Amino acid sequence: MKVDRRSFLSFVIGGAAGTALSPLPWKLMDDSSIWSQMWPWTPVPPDGEVVYEDSTCTLCPGGCGISVRKVDSRAVKIEGQSGHPVNDGSICILGLSGLQMLYGPTRIKSPMKRIGERGEGKWQKISWDEAFAILTEKLTDIRDKGEAHTVAALAGSDSGTVPALIQRFMAAYGSPNFMRSPSYRDVDELTVKALFGADGRTGFDVENADYVLSFGSGFVDGWGSPVRMFKAASLWKEKDIPVVQVEPRLSNSAAKATRWIPINPGTEADLALGIAAVMVANGIADTGDVSGLSGWENDLLANYEPQKVAQTTGIDAAVIVEVAKGFARADRPLALCGRGKAQTAVSLRETAAVYILNALTGNINQEGGMWAIPEADYIQWPDVATDNLASAGLDQPRLDGAGTGKYTDARYLTNRLADSVNGGGPYPLQVLLVAGANPCHYLPDTQHVKAAFARIPFIVSFSSFQDETAAMADLLMPDHVYLERYEDVPVGAGLVQQMIGLSKPVVSPQFNTRHLGEVLIMTAKAMGGSIADAFPWDDYETCLEETLAEKWDTLMETGVWVRADTDPVAGSIQLAGLDAPAVQAEGDVNSFPLLLVPYDSIQLTSGYMGEAPFMIKAVSDTVIQGTDGFIEINPLTASGVGLGEGDRATLTTPRGEALVRVHLFEGIQPGVLAMVRGLGHTAYDGYLAGKGVNVNELIGPVEDPSTGFDAAWGIRAKLDKA
Amino acid sequence: MKQAQTHGTPMKYGMAIDLDKCTGCGACMVACMAENNIPFKEDESDKRVSITWMRIFKLTNGKSFPDSDICYLPRPCQHCEGHEGHSPCVSVCPATATDYSRETGIVSQIVTRCFGCRYCMGACPYHARYFNWWDPVWPDGMEKYLSPDVSPRMRGVVEKCSFCFHRYQLAKNKAYLDGERRVPEAAYQTACTQACPAGAIVFGDLNNPEHQVHQIVKPDSNNGNRSRNPKAFRLLERTGTNTKVYYLSSREWVRRAGDNYLAHEKTGQLAKLHH
Amino acid sequence: MDSALIPKGVKRCPMWQFLLGLGIVGAVLAWGVYAMLLCWFKGLNQTNMNDYYGFALWIWADLAVIALGGGAFFSGLLKYIIGKDELKNIINYAVLIGFICYSSALLILAIDIGQPLRGWFIFWHANVHSMLTEVAFCLSAYFAVLTIEYIPLILENRQLDKVPFFHNLSHNMHETMAVFAATGAFLSFFHQGSLGGVAGVLFGRPFAFREGLLIWPWTFFLFTWSAAAYGPSFTLLITWITEKVARKKLVKDNVVELLAKISGWMIFTYTIAKICDTTRWANITAPGLGQNLADFYTGNAFYGYWILFAEIILGGVVPAIILISAPLRKNPTWRVTAFFLGVMGVSLNRWVMVLQVMAVPIMPFDTWALYYPSWQEVATTILPVAYGIILIMISYRYLPIFPQEAELNPIEEETAMAVEAHTESTPDLKPANA
Ligand SMILES: Nc1nc2c(c(=O)[nH]1)N[C@H]1C(S)=C(S)[C@@H](COP(=O)(O)OP(=O)(O)OC[C@H]3O[C@@H](n4cnc5c(=O)[nH]c(N)nc54)[C@H](O)[C@@H]3O)O[C@H]1N2
Ligand SMILES: Nc1nc2c(c(=O)[nH]1)N[C@H]1C(S)=C(S)[C@@H](COP(=O)(O)OP(=O)(O)OC[C@H]3O[C@H](n4cnc5c(=O)[nH]c(N)nc54)[C@H](O)[C@@H]3O)O[C@H]1N2
Ligand code: SF4
Ligand code: SF4
Ligand code: SF4
Ligand code: SF4
Ligand code: SF4
Ligand SMILES: [Mo]
Repeated sequence: MKVDRRSFLSFVIGGAAGTALSPLPWKLMDDSSIWSQMWPWTPVPPDGEVVYEDSTCTLCPGGCGISVRKVDSRAVKIEGQSGHPVNDGSICILGLSGLQMLYGPTRIKSPMKRIGERGEGKWQKISWDEAFAILTEKLTDIRDKGEAHTVAALAGSDSGTVPALIQRFMAAYGSPNFMRSPSYRDVDELTVKALFGADGRTGFDVENADYVLSFGSGFVDGWGSPVRMFKAASLWKEKDIPVVQVEPRLSNSAAKATRWIPINPGTEADLALGIAAVMVANGIADTGDVSGLSGWENDLLANYEPQKVAQTTGIDAAVIVEVAKGFARADRPLALCGRGKAQTAVSLRETAAVYILNALTGNINQEGGMWAIPEADYIQWPDVATDNLASAGLDQPRLDGAGTGKYTDARYLTNRLADSVNGGGPYPLQVLLVAGANPCHYLPDTQHVKAAFARIPFIVSFSSFQDETAAMADLLMPDHVYLERYEDVPVGAGLVQQMIGLSKPVVSPQFNTRHLGEVLIMTAKAMGGSIADAFPWDDYETCLEETLAEKWDTLMETGVWVRADTDPVAGSIQLAGLDAPAVQAEGDVNSFPLLLVPYDSIQLTSGYMGEAPFMIKAVSDTVIQGTDGFIEINPLTASGVGLGEGDRATLTTPRGEALVRVHLFEGIQPGVLAMVRGLGHTAYDGYLAGKGVNVNELIGPVEDPSTGFDAAWGIRAKLDKA
Repeated sequence: MKQAQTHGTPMKYGMAIDLDKCTGCGACMVACMAENNIPFKEDESDKRVSITWMRIFKLTNGKSFPDSDICYLPRPCQHCEGHEGHSPCVSVCPATATDYSRETGIVSQIVTRCFGCRYCMGACPYHARYFNWWDPVWPDGMEKYLSPDVSPRMRGVVEKCSFCFHRYQLAKNKAYLDGERRVPEAAYQTACTQACPAGAIVFGDLNNPEHQVHQIVKPDSNNGNRSRNPKAFRLLERTGTNTKVYYLSSREWVRRAGDNYLAHEKTGQLAKLHH
Repeated sequence: MDSALIPKGVKRCPMWQFLLGLGIVGAVLAWGVYAMLLCWFKGLNQTNMNDYYGFALWIWADLAVIALGGGAFFSGLLKYIIGKDELKNIINYAVLIGFICYSSALLILAIDIGQPLRGWFIFWHANVHSMLTEVAFCLSAYFAVLTIEYIPLILENRQLDKVPFFHNLSHNMHETMAVFAATGAFLSFFHQGSLGGVAGVLFGRPFAFREGLLIWPWTFFLFTWSAAAYGPSFTLLITWITEKVARKKLVKDNVVELLAKISGWMIFTYTIAKICDTTRWANITAPGLGQNLADFYTGNAFYGYWILFAEIILGGVVPAIILISAPLRKNPTWRVTAFFLGVMGVSLNRWVMVLQVMAVPIMPFDTWALYYPSWQEVATTILPVAYGIILIMISYRYLPIFPQEAELNPIEEETAMAVEAHTESTPDLKPANA
């Protein structure tokens, strides 16, 4: 017995000691640390040869040069291209996130046709041949019935060869219904034509101005070419240049300005005219470049004397006079127009007033001033030889009424598309082609727009992403994204020179997608006849190279073509548009005591395209928390409704209702609510979908009678504790 | 503390961030995420479990409309030198998983040695340290953009801004091959500095009079490296963290927000620094 | 049926009662273990900790149990070094409680770290500047000591003791216990202290930071002192609870009162030191860093001046006075109240030194960070309590923990014993009984 116990004991003790001294435990410990350092489920990025490839970013109209770092065939980082005329090495938050879009899970990976109900998200992968067959058959049928005009196309922009190919296709096919996403461009073009009597666009010599007066333009919130504007703002700081930001809300731009002047929303035009009046009255206006002033001077002085303007704008008369004098006495003063990112049109009255203000400084087309220059018209293709079917279709009026009747000056009235589809149009729309546009997210009164889309018999989306509009489509023919394709990128965005960038494929197409230009050429050829004849190129690259002609080599080498010595469209302006009426906010004061104004954030794309996870991660927790969206409200207004920081409330406008949470902000005028643009996506994935509220669902278009454009700057609203 | 690995005066990399220029756009945050393989989750709105080596704080002057004012303050790791390299975090890490380099002045983070006790997080007054509460997961296909220069961190360890140390290593190797004694100023710039569209961040060697950052900051080595530039300040300077990220602002309320002051104390005019 | 294992001369509850008790506490234990496994396999996202709360409930629990376990080293010191021999009647229990507290602390640490498999890096890549390194080394070393102090107790089990080897082993160990007690006291001084240092050295956090002596901040000494002061109170509180549960007296009053008196004086002196420290910190240290008390105790929903009062007055001054004054101390109700207040006080102190440290904003533009634990954190914190109760139940049932128990509770009818002895000696008769 005892012996047993002893031996057992010594066995146990000896065994323990032995194991402890053996290498076993040490080996196990070592392995444990190594294993925990490379868990199989933590990715290890493969190494490889590093190269940088330059291209042009197209995620916004900014036109920045980018330099993409690659490891073997993988793109791993997007950086700004140093030495580039627009951004010289810098880059914005959106451009930095490009790779998450390229490799992101919301890409449309191959052509697909709808098999479920509309918007249900049931799709069937199909081959490109089948996709082409479906499209051409559809288009041919309609055309043969002599209804070519019932087909419409909506693109994000109308400049560059790809939009030009769409326009050309529509012309050869026989439809007058090409449309462009609404934006500040619309009113800019129209105003330039009205004042300068010629086609062109404005440019702003921000780098050389010595006094900047901004009517709510978000010069560090995404206005114009964002990176260029950031650099300019820093330059202003270095040179101690007075920058006056007029805006109801303390935006980031207002915070960067040397002076922020809060103003009653929607009264910017009155202030501009008030300042003009002070300048004229004090004889400090330079009328050299302005004709037609005499006929209008008396009205101006009578209707816009400081006291009156102070009434409307809520700005002290003394302040108005002070600003007017500072602005007029500066050597190279510059006034900016277009709210926030300038992504929505403003009224003709406001645009004209600000442009005239620039003219009254005698600084038009001068260093540091506002310019009016023609767009680079490098796309010189022979006119389309239309057959009878096409001519007949082209003779029909446009669905949106642009270019006729009271809208003679408007080229596109995309904001009226929904109404015409919902019954207001001259004829029913049978097919809509959508490229680089997401109207089901950013068009005002989005629900109304979606209802209209639901009525369109056949929708084709060329989007690369599963966005809200693609979700409504019947046929998906996904385009490459910008990092996978060649494309010319004409840059407007307020630049004073003509500039064209070139997008180059830095990676091979990741999915079964096709270049939109290619798709158009092939569809045309498939349809044959005069349509095919209008597209003589073998492929898009040939088309692009031929079109760019002598510019091609420059673009291939440097990635950008710049023409600095562009002649202005005209040297002086003819006063116009000042009798245009002001655009009021929708809704009556009694049932909607508050005002809701959308604001732009550089961290969000304002409906332009789906934000990447990186961008959403950078968004503050006073803008989104979980899926809750916040509105900014002055503490006074909030306590009036009995709301505290973070409380839930129901926000109601004449157009809709939404559950929001409130963020108390001292930087916003009492009585005004601000909501950021770009949230409330219903498409894309869990990193974006359902976060916040889409402000466009709460705001309806308000037509500027003098242009037909949607010039809504806000809407009346009410807020109730939820 | 690691001893200097190169001869000659050691370097002291640091930043000068101009808050007059900073717009709060967040490009620096995203540049950092893209450069350093920083993971993301579906919901990143709880900022206390959201890994952002660079984080933007929004400061307000506390006045009411219309006198209110805001200012954004980008916060990378401040690469505290503390007293002779005893930065708050380095001195507390029991496993020497974070270290102060006397060669560069950079506070490193050895994620493969960190065992996740999180003492360093408690020690860092700037909340510059982040714990991997979750496994890093990239949505299908997105792991394609991951950079091999910075290995993704596993769950359960702490990470933080490294001043893009991998960029220093690349630059150092290149300088060596080019036969240069020192890494040229332009050859080593951080991802956030490079990206910033406002040019608000200046990065370089605080010890090198030729570097822009030195010329802006003019550090006073006889006074705890405090800046001689009246516009400059450091966060919580008086605690003696002795940071190497300097901030510039022309606004007094902003400079005052950078440190704790008793009501009667004048901004920037403090007694001898702690330590 | 387990009577053979039960110490001679004492009575224990029937097996079914014992098992029922074990079952109930065991269920709680299982719940804790489940939570623990969740934390290990799914990671610390199972907790409500965040980047502002790197340390939270668990670290508090660690600091608290280690402070309360301080009864072991201090009673040991008193008995073996100072020579307070009466304490031999409670030292066993003090050791057992200490053993439970320290093993719990180590377990919680193993759950708390993000990479448990690399826990040993703290020894392998030790950083001598880190208070946590000091903690890790002294803590494990002292745990070894406690084990060594606990083993002879186990060996005194009636059956084990029959084995000559065990018998001699425990005997010899008892002989050398003084050495271990000394070592234990020495180690405890350091790890209790370095636990105090953990917060005190955070010079970036004015709320926690303290000046000090050489490399040690004042909190270093305050922690050691408070552990020595409050530990015995905890031992006595648990003893009292055990007596209530066992429905019998286990330790003589003179022993209890002696330890209570010592604890009282320790708490008294500690509280004075704590008040001095607080005064200096509030008037010199914090203001020197631009902060004043209002910054630490206002502007949030939870941390107010009340916490200072509760810790120092209710948890310090009051119990000190009760335990110092003979009449109050001799009154069981007052005495136990004092123990309770003391335990609350020292636990609150550890809470403040961990959680309030994390809550207070440091940068002027930063905000207060409040936190509440997730159920997984709570369960894993209760886990050691359940484990402790079980270990006490078993030890109490089978080991002669309380030398005075038999004497205090003489067993009336000898027959009971006889029968037991009988059945025990002749098991083969059992069937016949049926
Ligand atoms: N209320 C409101 N109205 C607005 C605006 C606003 O912000 N708010 N913004 C105005 C402005 S400035 C604009 S530009 C337009 C919106 O500008 P649009 O040009 O209409 O751009 P979006 O449609 O919003 O986003 C681009 C669309 O194309 C897809 N896309 C993105 N990249 C690619 C690509 O590489 N290839 C292809 N094929 N598709 C791609 C995106 O998924 C998205 O559906 O809306 C204008 N109208
Ligand atoms: N981070 C971030 N930045 C963004 C965006 C974003 O979503 N996120 N949105 C981007 C978007 S969608 C846009 S559209 C922009 C601003 O939106 P857009 O209006 O589409 O582009 P801008 O050129 O800035 O428009 C303002 C300018 O319109 C005119 N204009 C610009 N280009 C042309 C042109 O080609 N022809 C004519 N006739 N006039 C032109 C004038 O130059 C005027 O200054 O903001 C961009 N900036
Ligand atoms: S500003 Fe526009 S063009 Fe430039 S990088 Fe950003 S998104 Fe791209
Ligand atoms: S990128 Fe530059 S401007 Fe933008 S937030 Fe960062 S530092 Fe400020
Ligand atoms: S900022 Fe924080 S993490 Fe960075 S060095 Fe200082 S203490 Fe360490
Ligand atoms: S978490 Fe990692 S780095 Fe931080 S102290 Fe612990 S071991 Fe060191
Ligand atoms: S220095 Fe590098 S690591 Fe640090 S914040 Fe900037 S980009 Fe990120
Ligand atoms: Mo746009």
